[in-house]
Amino acid sequence: ANLQRLLFPLSTSVLLPYFDTSVILFCLFSQVVLKIIKHYQEEGQGSEVVQGVLLGLVVEDRLEITNCFPFPQHTEDDADFDEVQYQMEMMRSLRHVNIDHLHVGWYQSTYYGSFVSRALLDSQFSYQHAIEESVVLIYDPIKTAQGSLSLKAYRLTPKLMEICKEKDFTPEGLKKANIGFEHMFEEVPIVIRNSHLINSLMWELEEKSTVADKHELLNLSSSNHLEKSLQLLMDRVDDMSQDIVKYNTYSRNLSKQQQQKHQYLQRRQQENAQRQSRGEPPLPEEDITKMFKPPQPPPRMDTLLIAGQINNYCQNVKEFTSQNLGKLFMAEALQGHN
Amino acid sequence: MSRFFATGSDSESEESSSADEITPKAPGTTFKQSLLLSDDEEDTKRVVRSAKDKRFEELTNLIKTIRNAMKIRDMAKCLEEFEQLCRAFLKSKNIVDKEGVPPFYIRLLADLEDYLNQLWEDKEGKKKMNKNNAKALSTLRQKIRKYNRDYETEIAAYKEVNFGLSLVLCFKTYREYSQSKKLKHVYLTHTVSFQRAQESEKSEKRLAKKKKPKKKERLEEEAEEEGGEEVEGGWEKVKGGAPMVKMFAKGTEINVPVVVKKLNEILQARGKKGTDRAAQIELLHALANIAAENNLGQGIMVKIKFNIIASLYDYNPNLAAFMKPDMWKKCLDCIDELLDILFEHNNIFIGENIAEDSESLIISDQPFRVRGCILTLVERMDEEFTKIMQNTDPHSQEYVDNLKDEGRVCGIIDRLLNYMENKGSTEEICRIYLRRIMHTYYKFDYKAHRRSLGLQAESKSEQDQEESEGEDSAVIMDRLCKFIYAKDRTDRIRTCAILCHIYHHALHSRWYQARDLMLMSHLQDNIQHADPPVQILYNRTMVQLGICAFRQGMIKDAHNALLDIQSSGRAKELLGQGLLMRNMQERNAEQEKIEKRRQVPFHMHINLELLECVYLVSAMLLEIPYMAAHEFDARRRMISKQFHHQLRVGERQPLLGPPESMREHVVAASKAMKMGDWRTCHSFIINEKMNSKVWDLFPETQRVREMLVRLFLCLSSSMGTLSEMFELEIPTVHSIISKMIINEELMASLDQPTQTVVMHRTEPTSLQNMALQLAEKLGSLVENNERVFDLKQGVYGGYFNRDQKGGYQQKQSYNRGMFNHTVVVLWIQKKQLVQTHGDLPTPTYL
Repeated sequence: ANLQRLLFPLSTSVLLPYFDTSVILFCLFSQVVLKIIKHYQEEGQGSEVVQGVLLGLVVEDRLEITNCFPFPQHTEDDADFDEVQYQMEMMRSLRHVNIDHLHVGWYQSTYYGSFVSRALLDSQFSYQHAIEESVVLIYDPIKTAQGSLSLKAYRLTPKLMEICKEKDFTPEGLKKANIGFEHMFEEVPIVIRNSHLINSLMWELEEKSTVADKHELLNLSSSNHLEKSLQLLMDRVDDMSQDIVKYNTYSRNLSKQQQQKHQYLQRRQQENAQRQSRGEPPLPEEDITKMFKPPQPPPRMDTLLIAGQINNYCQNVKEFTSQNLGKLFMAEALQGHN
Repeated sequence: MSRFFATGSDSESEESSSADEITPKAPGTTFKQSLLLSDDEEDTKRVVRSAKDKRFEELTNLIKTIRNAMKIRDMAKCLEEFEQLCRAFLKSKNIVDKEGVPPFYIRLLADLEDYLNQLWEDKEGKKKMNKNNAKALSTLRQKIRKYNRDYETEIAAYKEVNFGLSLVLCFKTYREYSQSKKLKHVYLTHTVSFQRAQESEKSEKRLAKKKKPKKKERLEEEAEEEGGEEVEGGWEKVKGGAPMVKMFAKGTEINVPVVVKKLNEILQARGKKGTDRAAQIELLHALANIAAENNLGQGIMVKIKFNIIASLYDYNPNLAAFMKPDMWKKCLDCIDELLDILFEHNNIFIGENIAEDSESLIISDQPFRVRGCILTLVERMDEEFTKIMQNTDPHSQEYVDNLKDEGRVCGIIDRLLNYMENKGSTEEICRIYLRRIMHTYYKFDYKAHRRSLGLQAESKSEQDQEESEGEDSAVIMDRLCKFIYAKDRTDRIRTCAILCHIYHHALHSRWYQARDLMLMSHLQDNIQHADPPVQILYNRTMVQLGICAFRQGMIKDAHNALLDIQSSGRAKELLGQGLLMRNMQERNAEQEKIEKRRQVPFHMHINLELLECVYLVSAMLLEIPYMAAHEFDARRRMISKQFHHQLRVGERQPLLGPPESMREHVVAASKAMKMGDWRTCHSFIINEKMNSKVWDLFPETQRVREMLVRLFLCLSSSMGTLSEMFELEIPTVHSIISKMIINEELMASLDQPTQTVVMHRTEPTSLQNMALQLAEKLGSLVENNERVFDLKQGVYGGYFNRDQKGGYQQKQSYNRGMFNHTVVVLWIQKKQLVQTHGDLPTPTYL
């Protein structure tokens, strides 16, 4: 029954101004959703992640995903397995049965909302670089298991695309690009579509179904979820701390060196002035950059990603807790009424 | 100048008469002769030489050696002597100022310079010189050049006159030398006979002959005259002040001005190198006696006494060295006498600010005015007493003997205090009050204690009776301190007074007064700016406060007060009760001396073992229940590191014998406590051995028991058993438990009908723990972030140009936004946790 609902993330209206591609809506066909869920149930366990390819079409201003197929789980044994080959094969076969074969993105399951990683960034970048409309679909099986389907589509923002193109992840580069963690990914609104036949089937099924499982409503999902999220959040916060410390040392070193350089230059200048007054030739110019090798700047992209991830976790926790709080208040009200 | 010309002509005349024998008494003796002989002459003749003669003789001797050295071309010697000469000349500066530069001196300077120039020109000779000499030559040449610049005019004049004679000079010196020897010989024989002749002569005649009839000379002359019979040549008489017993000529009318003059004379010698200090004291005493004999009045007596005391203090040249006890006792007597006089005669004004010439010492209707400050003297006396105590072996009989004098010191201070209260200014009163306080604060007032216990009487002797009638020390302290608080304007005296007051309160177990005073004074904040002695006093006070708190059963306060002192491991040093063994690099001899001077005398010491024991026991009473209560807490903190250290040391021992030392006792007791065996614990802490070592005054059993009840509530539940276990009344147990519940020390409720305590164990859930951890981590994260931000904003940020900085700030604010966000989320989530899990155990919902 949940599948019937249209999932419009609240943020759609907020995000709209940022969209500058032709695609503003992302239409998902229910069979794709089911396939993804099935894929995870069959193969994904725990923190393991499943991935697959989304196929579809760009229709007017929306991207329609009509089909998908999973990447096979490959183990150590078949190291010579050619993924690209497999994909090509799959797509060719699908075309033969007259299914949309345009490669418009990929999907990935997530473990408690942890998906913002370098790997994801890289592969999404290559997708988006090749096919402009491509998206990544993030499926959260745990939330889904709790009763609310969680599917989110993301794209890299043009800004991030530019940075990735230049591969300049130094602090200076990021500063110039003026990019924050909020501006890395844009969420694309999703609409799930069913064919009319399925819709009518649904209505029919709903009428037949009993109300037996309605009492689930007030179930406070175990604190396990919250705990896990917190654990992950904490790990990321640690990472973040480390990164900041690293950056701190870097900037301190840099400024120290800058000072040294400045002093050196001044001294040199004075010396030259003296020499000039004595009529001697000035000292030869030396390569200052050689004398003062600037310290290796720490890559900042990771930090940004971590910040994004933290943000994500926070959203999750917030959502989760607000739901639970709502339930609690509801229970209280019920009790008072009784 | 005129003298100088005379010299010139003298040398000429000498030239002419050098062949024949010169009689020393002949009038108009050439200067040279007088230069060489006059000292000898005068010495033999008059025995006592004037300062001028003494100095000039010194100079001439040096000049002689220089000339000799010149002759043998010993430049090194020359240089050395010349330096000495300069010094000697400088010493005789005031005489020179009076008399003008002596011509012989100028002559030497001129000659020496010429001579040196000559040598310098003589390149060959210079080459032949050995290295030492050559070096000395060049230094000397430079020196004399510089030196002579000051006497340019004189030398020029000399040269002018002596131009023709310069050639003969060389011989002349030589001849002079040999001549002087001869003369001296002749002279001695002559003078002896002369002396004899003198004896028969009238003294007036001789007096008339004196060139400079200085008063002192005359006096001594007279003294000599009287003692002259025994001492033949008079050579020996010069030393010491022994012959000065009779200080005034027989006929002199002894009156105040004469005595004052004499006194000044004696005092002028003070501080000079050659003065015999012991003799000076003698002299002053003698003078005092004379003054007393002649009834010159109290004014002069007071003045002399002042000076006697001052010179007694002067006896030791070094401030660091301590006075000899007998010296000090003498001084004590003097002060006593002085006080007697002051008390008897109300009309004597003394003060530092009375100028020397405005003194009035003559007996008249007007009150006496004498310069001098008795307060300073007494203070000094007290300091000397402390020094003596510091320097005496505290375990010797001598120390006890010395300590007995403390009573006298106190007596003097008391008397002075009375005196000052009538006459002194407020500042002086404050100072003397502080002295009094310093002598009172560390003494336990047994009388008052006994009185408060209601054990009046049973005094063994009358003296005791008398004593017990005196004012309570507490009352005295209170009165004195309050006066100081109100009137004192120097911060130091007030600080000391407060500390002493607190100490005294603490010593007498008036915990609340002591604590309040300590808190009110705000000394904790600024004590580190005080000088070391005050800091030591502060430390002592804190320690005493801690011990007091312990006696009162305020274990926590005791622990806190002692923590700072004990945790550093330098309690001994901090309390000024001895130096720690440290290697010499850290402290040189000078520092060590200073530190030694700061030490507190032994009788004021606080027992360090007691201190440590109190600390450890209070730590134990705090720590063991804490350990029990937080056994499962991963991040429990140590209350006392030292205590843990002791425990660990105890645990490391392979074999555990019965405890011997205080520490072992504490460790054993805490082990027993851990096991809940309060009786053993108690017996470990309070037993014979411990009694003999540290415990004498603390009735602490009750307290220990109570603490143990608290501990055991964590483990057991039945009140009946509890009361049985600790041998306490059920109501007591009940009250303790209720108190704990109210204070949220114990999550429990009392079940009245079954007489049980229902314990609610509410450990924080793992989720709650995690949330706390997360909060901590976020805190550190924010801190790190702030640091980055500071770096950008602060001093190092200069090289970023504007727009970049702006960009960065933007980013920063993003980051901050994110943190705020996280914190908000965290807050919500915590709230939720409370809502969700706080209510979980109660089955009311759902």
